[in-house]
Amino acid sequence: MTLALRLALRDLRGALASFRLFLAALAVGVAAIAAVGNVTAAIEAGLARDGATLLGGDAEITLTYRFARPDERAFMDATAARVSEVVAFRSLAVAGGDAAVRALTEVRGVDDAYPLLGEVVLDPPMPLAQALAGRDGTPGAVMEPVLASRLGLTPGDRFRLGARDYVLAARLTGWPDDGDGGFGFGPRLILRTADLAGSGLIAEGTLFSTLYRLRLPLGTDAATVHAELDRRFPDSGLRWRDAGEGLPGTEQVVDRVGAFLMLLGLAGLAVGGVGVGAAVRAWLARRVTTIAVMRTLGATGPVIAAAHLFQIALVTLAGIALGLALGTLPLLLAAPAIAALLPLPAVFGLYPVPLAQATSYGLLVAALFTLWPLARVERIRPAVLIRDSGGAGGWPRWPWLLAIAAVLALLVLAAVRFTGTARLTLAVFAGIAVTLGLLALAGHATRLVARASRGLARGRPALRLALASVAARGGATVATVLALGLGLGTLSAVGQIEGNLRASLLAGLPRAAPSFFVLDIQPDQIDAFRARLAGDPAVRSLEAAPMLRGIISAVNGVPAADIPGAPWVLRGDRGVTYAATPPEGTVLTAGAWWPEDYTGPPQMSFSAAEAETLGLHPGDTVTVNILGREITATVTSLRRVEFQSLGMGFVIVLDPAALAGAPHSWIATLTADRAAEARLFDNLTAAFPNITVISTRAAAARVAEVVGKAALAIRVAAGVTLGAGFLVLIGVAGTGEAERRRETAIARSLGASRRVMLSSLVLRMALIGLAAGVVALAAGFLGGWAVSRLAMDIAFHPVWPQAVAVVAGGIAVATLAGIGLALGPLNARPASLLRARE
Amino acid sequence: MSDSPPEPAIMLRDVGLTLAGNAGPVDILHGITLDVARGEALGLVGPSGSGKSSLLMVMAGLEPPGRGSVTALGRDLGALSEDGRALFRRDHMGVVFQSFHLIPTLTALENVALPLELAHVGDAMSRARGELAAVGLAHRTGHYPAQLSGGEQGRVALARAAATRPELLLADEPTGSLDAASGQAVMDLLFDLRARHGATLVLVTHSPELAARCDRVVRIEDGRIVP
Repeated sequence: MTLALRLALRDLRGALASFRLFLAALAVGVAAIAAVGNVTAAIEAGLARDGATLLGGDAEITLTYRFARPDERAFMDATAARVSEVVAFRSLAVAGGDAAVRALTEVRGVDDAYPLLGEVVLDPPMPLAQALAGRDGTPGAVMEPVLASRLGLTPGDRFRLGARDYVLAARLTGWPDDGDGGFGFGPRLILRTADLAGSGLIAEGTLFSTLYRLRLPLGTDAATVHAELDRRFPDSGLRWRDAGEGLPGTEQVVDRVGAFLMLLGLAGLAVGGVGVGAAVRAWLARRVTTIAVMRTLGATGPVIAAAHLFQIALVTLAGIALGLALGTLPLLLAAPAIAALLPLPAVFGLYPVPLAQATSYGLLVAALFTLWPLARVERIRPAVLIRDSGGAGGWPRWPWLLAIAAVLALLVLAAVRFTGTARLTLAVFAGIAVTLGLLALAGHATRLVARASRGLARGRPALRLALASVAARGGATVATVLALGLGLGTLSAVGQIEGNLRASLLAGLPRAAPSFFVLDIQPDQIDAFRARLAGDPAVRSLEAAPMLRGIISAVNGVPAADIPGAPWVLRGDRGVTYAATPPEGTVLTAGAWWPEDYTGPPQMSFSAAEAETLGLHPGDTVTVNILGREITATVTSLRRVEFQSLGMGFVIVLDPAALAGAPHSWIATLTADRAAEARLFDNLTAAFPNITVISTRAAAARVAEVVGKAALAIRVAAGVTLGAGFLVLIGVAGTGEAERRRETAIARSLGASRRVMLSSLVLRMALIGLAAGVVALAAGFLGGWAVSRLAMDIAFHPVWPQAVAVVAGGIAVATLAGIGLALGPLNARPASLLRARE
Repeated sequence: MSDSPPEPAIMLRDVGLTLAGNAGPVDILHGITLDVARGEALGLVGPSGSGKSSLLMVMAGLEPPGRGSVTALGRDLGALSEDGRALFRRDHMGVVFQSFHLIPTLTALENVALPLELAHVGDAMSRARGELAAVGLAHRTGHYPAQLSGGEQGRVALARAAATRPELLLADEPTGSLDAASGQAVMDLLFDLRARHGATLVLVTHSPELAARCDRVVRIEDGRIVP
């Protein structure tokens, strides 16, 4: 063993330069994994640091439409050291008399315990209690400066909320519970919940949530409390969240960004592996003579294999160290800029777990891609010294195969652990295996086509040389197609997913959105509301529907918590409505609507797309918790629902009898001429002070800002991966370089000009690139589809410009690199190359 | 009672070699039967492509014969695995190639030390230094092959082949790529080494002068021994 190590060290000393590609490729792969791990760890640390404060407590229990019942509140008081109750809803604040100004605001009604954690900062500075105490019998409130200036208010001025007056005591410049800060639709306003009495804003059926923040005694396990809560109040519709989990409204963003980062990690890994494999093959091809000489001198196969294994191991360690540095240092240096891009708090630092993870990946990938070529080393026969035969071919011996299988199994296990999803990981590995098979077929087919096309090359020496090189038995054609195709396929998949993810985020931005959402229309107001708009020529359309909110608690009797994959439709509460007849424009995709006068057991119409993710069919049952009451209904029809137009989209429609007597309000969408929007807004809010009118223009701008940020982050991350991947492709161009160097020397000694040789090289790369590119295109689309649909739950459409740009760009980069590599031999005198060979 | 004759150093019996070519199998050697006595210097001569080098490779166990048997120092090489033959060469053989095949990433000293290290010789480096001095290259120990002249490379290859004091020395046209003066110097060294260590020498050569320095000359044509 020491002999092998000594030989390895001695060899390395003179051959470090030949490991440049190996080092670069491995470093790229390890850096990708390390960077993904570091960003994830930074977000986790950020959440751990800020989570409780952002959440407003160690845990939060949310209720929709109602306050906690006495028994529920008693449980909270008994469990927590302190409890704070916050009421959250949207409303319009009104300032001024006749020429009133109205502005949408996110209202938080608080109690004396608020805030449990952190501080509220006011301008002018004063305690929150003092600000909310009010003046001269008028209750106090604080609001964000942007809202105050929109309403033209300064501290001391009065304004109206619903049917009650308040005095602005101070501007609200800082508050701790900002968990939904990035996702709210209006500036914040804080007042005392007790002071909402008489405002008419918290009536039965209006849209509000109550948030109970719990400060748990030290040492209390949040999960235990959660389990106990579920056990004690199984059908109450209570939703639990603790500081260890995500933040309100961020799950989908976190899920998708997380899935995309994971994909970038895997892509970096695969492309790095391709580069590592190409580098090792090229290195060993140059070592054949040396290995044969060693065998002549008496070195056994194991000694030779061990010497080469040691070299690979040492270079692997160097590559991993480089990768860790590349995946960590830029993040640390650019931490503030990256943190600003992320929609969540992040604390960048040196985290051992992601670094250890990246190290183990680097080791496994290097082992996987080098064991096969290394296994062939011991098959190199000394006869190679007298003739070009006796090189390594065929399958490795079984101990090598066993080792390769073990490494592959470990890698799959590690990837499953890393991604947290066995299905997707296995699908990715299966996809890679299928792609490799197709590429091998494409490579062989290219060889055969090149051989059969030799007749075309008569009188065209460049084409003859290119076809001969591609057709050569034992040449580098198949290996190059494999490496180039796998690299391009992976990068193409990244491009497809980036395109589709961005498209899905941008599709969330409304195109044909209504002018206004109107919330909290009371049942006794709906007729007057309709009548007021009916004769207005500026109103182009009005849709109104009863609005309740409910949580899907079971599907076919299986509790939602036990349904695998946690589809978004099961997370949080959903809008629920009822209708006797199908609302206008309804498209049923399965089943039939209930009779108009139906009064039997509850029936339900479900959104078709969401039904598909749940595996729901007509005849199945869904249980919804509405206002604490469990309603189990039979699904009798499925409907097509468009959620992305900011219009009304209800996942669930029930028959009217199912919701008879349930207190509720109405929601409406209103489309009007733009010039009349301001007039309509003033008119409606004056006539119905309790309703909330939301201009979608403002909401859309807010969504656009968040989406723009996420899209930019995704584009930057994908761009970095594509750039690094192209670097690896440059190395892949070096596959079979020694062979081409010899061809060049011989052809030039026979009188081939440099132009002919360059043309032949470009033709060769074009043929190989075509074979690799076609498979890579298909693999990219397939990979993009699989990740989009299986991991991210977004729609997939082939993004052709992206696909063609990535594949053509990759082939161009590899061809240019091949030309670069050929320039040396082309400019050298052929005699020197032939002498060097001998 | 009579003394049985000593066993030959190398014994070939009906050796044939066929290789796969692009246009089908090519017969390289046909039924070669040949003994090389211990301590003998045997010259193999013949035109290019006659099979001399292939015969030498078969004797060295570098190329397994398709038919017949090869026995070296009483060991049937055909019965040994690829690794077994490698170990046999390590312990008993030195081979010199026409193009020397020095390992480009190793210095002259390390090239010579390599077979000694493979044989687990403790003072490999100092012995290698002595071997290089014996071929007049004490001042070139730290040079890489690319930094040596053709003649110097040939001397390093000789020193490497002789380093383990092999009983069998096989050389394939070691002067073929050298000028007359360098070739003469290398051959003097080769015969000198053989004389000093009493090794059996098999030498493939085109040169009638070199062949004349051997104890016996065998002529090969078209893969057969001709009288």
